[in-house]
Amino acid sequence: MVKGESRVRVMLPRALSEFAGGQESVELGGRTLADAIQGLNARFPGLGYRILDDQGRMRRYVLVFVNEDPVGHLDPQAVPLKDGDTVHILPSVAGG
Amino acid sequence: MADIKKGETVVVVGTRKGLFLFHSRDRKKWASRGPYFKGETVRHALLDPRDGKTLLAGVTSEHWGAVVARSTDFGGKWVLGKEGPRFSKESGLSVTRIWQVRPGSNGDLWIGVEPAGLFRSDDGGDTWSSIDAFNYWPGRDKWQPGAGGLILHTILPYPGERRRMLVGASAVGVFGTHDGGESWRLMNGDVRNPYIPQKVMGEEMVGSCVHKMVRDPRDPAIVYQQNHFGIYRRRRGDPKWTAIEKGLPSPFGFPMAAHPHDAGTVYTVPLEGDFNRVTPKGAMAVYRTTNGGKRWERLTKGLPQKDAWFTILRDALRTDDGDPAGVYVGTTTGQLYHSRDDGDSWQLLADHLQGIQSVEAGTVGGR
Repeated sequence: MVKGESRVRVMLPRALSEFAGGQESVELGGRTLADAIQGLNARFPGLGYRILDDQGRMRRYVLVFVNEDPVGHLDPQAVPLKDGDTVHILPSVAGG
Repeated sequence: MADIKKGETVVVVGTRKGLFLFHSRDRKKWASRGPYFKGETVRHALLDPRDGKTLLAGVTSEHWGAVVARSTDFGGKWVLGKEGPRFSKESGLSVTRIWQVRPGSNGDLWIGVEPAGLFRSDDGGDTWSSIDAFNYWPGRDKWQPGAGGLILHTILPYPGERRRMLVGASAVGVFGTHDGGESWRLMNGDVRNPYIPQKVMGEEMVGSCVHKMVRDPRDPAIVYQQNHFGIYRRRRGDPKWTAIEKGLPSPFGFPMAAHPHDAGTVYTVPLEGDFNRVTPKGAMAVYRTTNGGKRWERLTKGLPQKDAWFTILRDALRTDDGDPAGVYVGTTTGQLYHSRDDGDSWQLLADHLQGIQSVEAGTVGGR
């Protein structure tokens, strides 16, 4: 763990846990949401790209909550994380 | 689950909801695996012919974006690349779908994406390089999408000449490179387009709606094109395309496939027209030419001839490398038909799949 990093728990939906060895939650370090996603990608290659698009934005139909606050509409680099936070990544309910 | 052994034929089927494998020792009795990538669309997937072992799949989720996945144990475990294909930040473009995955002739791997873009991987799909000369073509702002979107859907490496390649993008046209993608030129000469005043394209005009291209495997200098408005043939060095659709019920269709061994033998499935993209008169027929398009044969033995109102998409017709050749065709209503006698007769291999996006066939361990 890097000094100044927070330890957070990232909860994965089924579609992503398939590529994380079946794990539904992962503990990661990072100061921001962008750090946490980068750490997720380092541990499970390819997962970062399933969450962020080419431009580093959260994908349109992906919902992200830090604890209970929605943050998916924010720049992931501007979302601070603190020790003990729980990050939920969810697919939005879409379609008809 | 039955083992998949060296020498077996594997048919890789991409559908609207997942990927399926069918495998057989004799092409008579088949076993299946899948679905993989549940709920996600697999627009193109194949067995890499270079090793006959690695499955490559272009997978698109409307939630989770588009990725290339690979498996070296026939679907037991799928691995994603470390990075996805990315357009530059300055471009403002974002990859939404993967339409084509194509091994190159030098250990390289290429993908065609939506919005029309081309990427190469030199590490088996872990990381991707943008082919900038194509992706940031100076006139790109004038490119218009076809009904399927603004997509790069066909990649044709040139066997033995690693820096030479053709690609097809709808509704832009055919591009060629002879320097590994550092520069490209349009190749649309004499392709019809009734929506432009002169009715045919100039070689460097943008706006040709290419649907699919295949190379003649015995003479890779020859390429066949199924276009929105016709079917064409062109030999390397020719200044333009030559129409070859005479004898077909319609110039409109999506897929093409080439025979693995017989020069001049190509398959297509004409549809009624762009106004009604279904099999004409509700009867399914694959058409075959054995002389480069001078004459077409209608192949129907074993195919439904009544109440068959479906579409065959651009990657849903392929051959294997058997002798005689196996031919495979998938429908948007989930039927997979196959022939093991060059297309002379057909059997239903699978039914009740989701809409079939792509079909590819290969031999385990290579041939």
